[in-house]
Amino acid sequence: MNKEGAKFMILITGALLASVTLSDGAGSPAKPAPLDFNRDIRPILSDNCFACHGPDEKARKAKLRLDVKEGAFAVTDGKSPIVPGRSSASELIRRVTNTDPDEIMPPPKSGKKLTPEQIGRLRQWIDQGASWQGHWAFQPPVRPATPAVRNGKWARNPIDSFVLAKLEQEKLSPQAEADARTLIRRLSLDLIGLPPTPEEVDEFLADQKAGADGRLVDRLLASKHFGERMAQMWLDVARFADSDGYHDDTTRMMWPYRDYVINSFNANKPFDQFTIEQIAGDLLPNATLEQKVGSAFHRNGPTSSEGGADAKEYAARYAVDRVNTTATAWLGVTLQCAECHDHKYDPFTTREFYQMFAFFNQVPENPIERTLHVAPVIATPTPTQEAKLGELKREAAALEQELKAALEKPGAKPDVVQKETPAADVAELKKKVAAAKKARDDFEKTIPRLRVMADVPTPRPTYILVRGDYRSPGETVTPGVPAVLGKMPDSPKTDRVALAKWLTQPQHPLTARVTVNRLWQMIYGVGLVRTSEEFGAQGERPSHPELLDWLAVEFVESGWNVKHMLKLIVSSATYRQSSRMNPKLLALDPENRLLARGARFRLPAEMVRDNALAVASLFDRSRAVGGPSVKPYQPGDLWREFSYGDSADKAYVRSKGADLYRRSIYTFWKRSVLYPSYAMFDAPNREVCTARRPVTNTPLQAYVLLNDETFVEAARVMAQRVITERPGDFDGQLQRAFQIALARPPSAPEMQAMQNLHREMLAEYRRRPEAAKKLLGVGEAPMPATADPAGLAAWTCVANAILNFDETITKE
Amino acid sequence: MNPPSDFQRQLTRRAFLGRSALGLGALGLSSLLNGNLPAASGPPGRPQYAPKAKRIIFLFMSGGPSQLDLFDPKPKLNELNGQPMPDSLVKNERVAQLQGKQLKCMGTRYQFARYGQSGVDISELLPWTAKMADDITVIRSMQTEAINHDPAVTFMQTGSAQPGRPVMGSWLSYGLGSNNRDLPAFVVLVSGIGTGQNLHTRYWGSGFLPTVHQGVQFRSKGDPVLFVSNPPGMSPEVRRRVLDSVRDVNQRKLDVVGDPEIATRIEQYEMAYRMQTSVPELMDTSKEPASVFDLYGQDAKTPGTFAANCLLARRLAERDVRFIQLYHRDWDHHDQLPKGITTQCRQVDQAGFALVQDLKQRGLLDDTIVIWSGEFGRTPMSQSNTAYDTYGRDHHMKAFTAWVAGGGFKAGALIGATDDLGYAVTKDPVPVHHFHATVLHLMGIEHTKLVYRSQGRDFRLTDVHGNVVRALLT
Repeated sequence: MNKEGAKFMILITGALLASVTLSDGAGSPAKPAPLDFNRDIRPILSDNCFACHGPDEKARKAKLRLDVKEGAFAVTDGKSPIVPGRSSASELIRRVTNTDPDEIMPPPKSGKKLTPEQIGRLRQWIDQGASWQGHWAFQPPVRPATPAVRNGKWARNPIDSFVLAKLEQEKLSPQAEADARTLIRRLSLDLIGLPPTPEEVDEFLADQKAGADGRLVDRLLASKHFGERMAQMWLDVARFADSDGYHDDTTRMMWPYRDYVINSFNANKPFDQFTIEQIAGDLLPNATLEQKVGSAFHRNGPTSSEGGADAKEYAARYAVDRVNTTATAWLGVTLQCAECHDHKYDPFTTREFYQMFAFFNQVPENPIERTLHVAPVIATPTPTQEAKLGELKREAAALEQELKAALEKPGAKPDVVQKETPAADVAELKKKVAAAKKARDDFEKTIPRLRVMADVPTPRPTYILVRGDYRSPGETVTPGVPAVLGKMPDSPKTDRVALAKWLTQPQHPLTARVTVNRLWQMIYGVGLVRTSEEFGAQGERPSHPELLDWLAVEFVESGWNVKHMLKLIVSSATYRQSSRMNPKLLALDPENRLLARGARFRLPAEMVRDNALAVASLFDRSRAVGGPSVKPYQPGDLWREFSYGDSADKAYVRSKGADLYRRSIYTFWKRSVLYPSYAMFDAPNREVCTARRPVTNTPLQAYVLLNDETFVEAARVMAQRVITERPGDFDGQLQRAFQIALARPPSAPEMQAMQNLHREMLAEYRRRPEAAKKLLGVGEAPMPATADPAGLAAWTCVANAILNFDETITKE
Repeated sequence: MNPPSDFQRQLTRRAFLGRSALGLGALGLSSLLNGNLPAASGPPGRPQYAPKAKRIIFLFMSGGPSQLDLFDPKPKLNELNGQPMPDSLVKNERVAQLQGKQLKCMGTRYQFARYGQSGVDISELLPWTAKMADDITVIRSMQTEAINHDPAVTFMQTGSAQPGRPVMGSWLSYGLGSNNRDLPAFVVLVSGIGTGQNLHTRYWGSGFLPTVHQGVQFRSKGDPVLFVSNPPGMSPEVRRRVLDSVRDVNQRKLDVVGDPEIATRIEQYEMAYRMQTSVPELMDTSKEPASVFDLYGQDAKTPGTFAANCLLARRLAERDVRFIQLYHRDWDHHDQLPKGITTQCRQVDQAGFALVQDLKQRGLLDDTIVIWSGEFGRTPMSQSNTAYDTYGRDHHMKAFTAWVAGGGFKAGALIGATDDLGYAVTKDPVPVHHFHATVLHLMGIEHTKLVYRSQGRDFRLTDVHGNVVRALLT
């Protein structure tokens, strides 16, 4: 259509142009300068050659291997695929330029074909001497020198030097700094997942002393809501849910693990320790309750209790899930390709896959049990609960002791003078014992329990499963890690503890890179490596490789300090840029990979809801962290529509009172029927480890914001709030509403638009008082008895509009 | 580095996205363009060659109907009823609930007759289906790789028994886009609610594809699409007025910050508004003439029945929705099979017939594929007992029956055969991957070319398998 349609077309065309220039996805057009093997050459070989001439021995053709230097440079019968310095003598070039269908590579039937540009690049690289490097992500990161930049004054910390160096190379300059209001809203959403209150905004604006920004960041990082915000990201990775996932999707109790994640982030637990606890907390010497709870990480995977399921098949499946999840979460590689055959692109063998598998198939579980608590399970009492339980146990024990003594016949112990206890007293005592035991047991049942990891005392043998089939055990393997990623540290046992220690070795090539990249992705929407789940040969090269390595080394050297890294990222001048776009920049870099502006993207699902609840003051900011998962508004029979005929879980029993408005991280996560508004805003169902969510923009999302009970009620309560806070002053109310929702006052045209809407709606609802009453009846939150129905309904429409602004659900 | 041809194809893709009902935001779009498109294969957005079919209606019989009582009679089984199954067939074979039990032959209590030019045997349970023997092709040689419901439905839909991959409808939405500006490309209708095996929304999930490609369920109770209805007390006029003011503010924002995502959001809100009309209009079958209800059966007047959903499927096909997925539940007959299967057949037989006839009369059958299949079949061995009025059957992966019609599939043919006891396929096996390859072929897609890169690997509906089954094609 008209103007915006045309603009959109231009922008899209820009995106296409950019996809042509940003050939390596890293934002730099090819230069005649020396080619870099990992940036310029390996992707060509990986995409086109490795499937038949790569790591997979069984699929390898002509015994030729091009993914390792020894293969690519080998001389056979006087010929070599690559003759450094001489492209014309290189067999590789002869084959890719051949016109004979029997000779040309890749073979026509593969459907793959090199472009002239790619062939040119291969030639150039060989003629430049064919310098070979191992895959970048498998080399331990080394802290690079901070690059020199022309506009040194702009940089606030080393991140900026890396970003600016690249911008200057592209002849671009950064955007101006975002204004203070935008900045505090951005920081607040990024670090605690909630919008700032108008009072917080005012306070920040009023703080003219040096270091105000730093103090704001410190306050946010110290907030208990920080952990709730971070957990949202990690729970996708941990595939955490409140239901089993497969078949009838039985309810499970895993929420103590969710609280562990929140508390760990709040306590700024070093990430290496966080890793070790989740991989092997149960196996640590004298493991604490908290460490054992951490190990629930690998009991989060989906399980089945389908009648007729083969326990062996599912046991194997769960171990595979644990390998794949570990690989995605910490290594950023796809080991699962090696489940059935050697990996086609990366040097991971099937043997190595099952060596990893051997860490995870030792759990003494019944794989197809149907119950809330599938063993191994532990109780997770709070200190208060633990004390109380101890007391109840002691009471019961003491009474039992007393009863025992009473029942002993006089003279049974010659040294003690005893009298026979009267029968009535004995009966009374028996009653007391029974009551004490019941009190003890009843209380114990209220203590949450959690599925955790454990290993069988005698290790089970592990076999390579031929083609991934659990019925075809092949060779025996022992636990181990992929050789290309470095050796495991010496330890007496090769168990999950050793695996965890290996993952957190300071020189590990992947753990720190993968983790800082995910933090970057959380803040910027796109990671420095866009494929945050894949750092292997088929993943994308980082946009700023040196910056990624710098951050990775900084992370390790800071003691795996997550808050330190986030503070560094959000304190940079890069972060503080305005997110405004201009057509030229959009055309050049639609995804902002060059970071020539601030990030602007729609909030994730949970934050969309939390924002509405916060804006309406429905969400109680003072409430303590943690607790059982809750069930907010959702259309009535949704679970029943999908449930197994006789499932106990088919009724969705909605929570009451304050639990309707808990932060979204506490919403019951049912895998088979995900909470609808989350599903529509791109949350995964968490059946598999998810490292990044897509960001879509659909009509169904409009329905959620316009019509979902949660959001309609939020609009009404927001209206009540501003009417109460600024009685009798519509313009003041409107000012307030914008401050609450957007941390800024309305512009004059916005003011006008809302005034007009309000006036018309007021007339409408004055004419139709019944309609007003109906609209105000949505949601359980109370309404002031004095409220004027037509006025409140009209204001509810205004608030409904405000909650639907693009800006309201967007981090700017 | 992208050659001009890629550039051209991406432009084509842009054109598709412009038409798509559930379009992508610019961010999603550009990430598709730049990152996730496979390097070596054709991007989606149009068929790769002339398609025979434009849309698919998949009648999914959830739970696994018994082919031995419906489509694949075995006199030998009746002869050996109650006797042990030969070891040569069943030794070391996988079973589900029969694990550790003695395996006995189980005949059928139903009479079969031959119909149509192919002379296909159809049971007395399906008199209507029998009437259209010359419109459909019966495949007796379907094979799957998963023996439990959840993985088997997942396998039938995604080509993998592990969750996480896109279903057929999502692949086609991604590959071909939408032909309707006012409805989603992939619509799901469920019947048999509250009975039998549970369903997962994953069965119409887009897996690693962007969530715009997931199926949108049209529900028979409550909102036809979740949250499509305005809140109580908010009239369409009020809603329009609120939307206008939202658009006004969003437009100003777009002018200032220049984010194309805002332009997309403005468009999507307009689409949402249009769907508030198009969806109820679609769901309202009250204006269908009496002859239609005579054809589909009076059940079709009751929302949420299979018959009502078949009628909706025809209405969706008329509106050019790309993939119409029906699920009908409660085919899992481990015991009391005669009772259960009789009920199920009554619910689906006439409506399935009516759908095919209706499409045919309206000239839609030529470019609409209709599929009738479960996730697996049932064993020739009895479960629970061998009495002819109460017997049951376990899950069976090695041979089961599906039928297909329209869209370039042969009409009036019988493909595949099983051994004397109906245990294994003896002729023209059609594993699920082959079936997928064939369906994609008819939609104009070479199955090895419809790929999406996730986790560094190019994924396909057919995984690394699949051949087009030429015997099924006209």
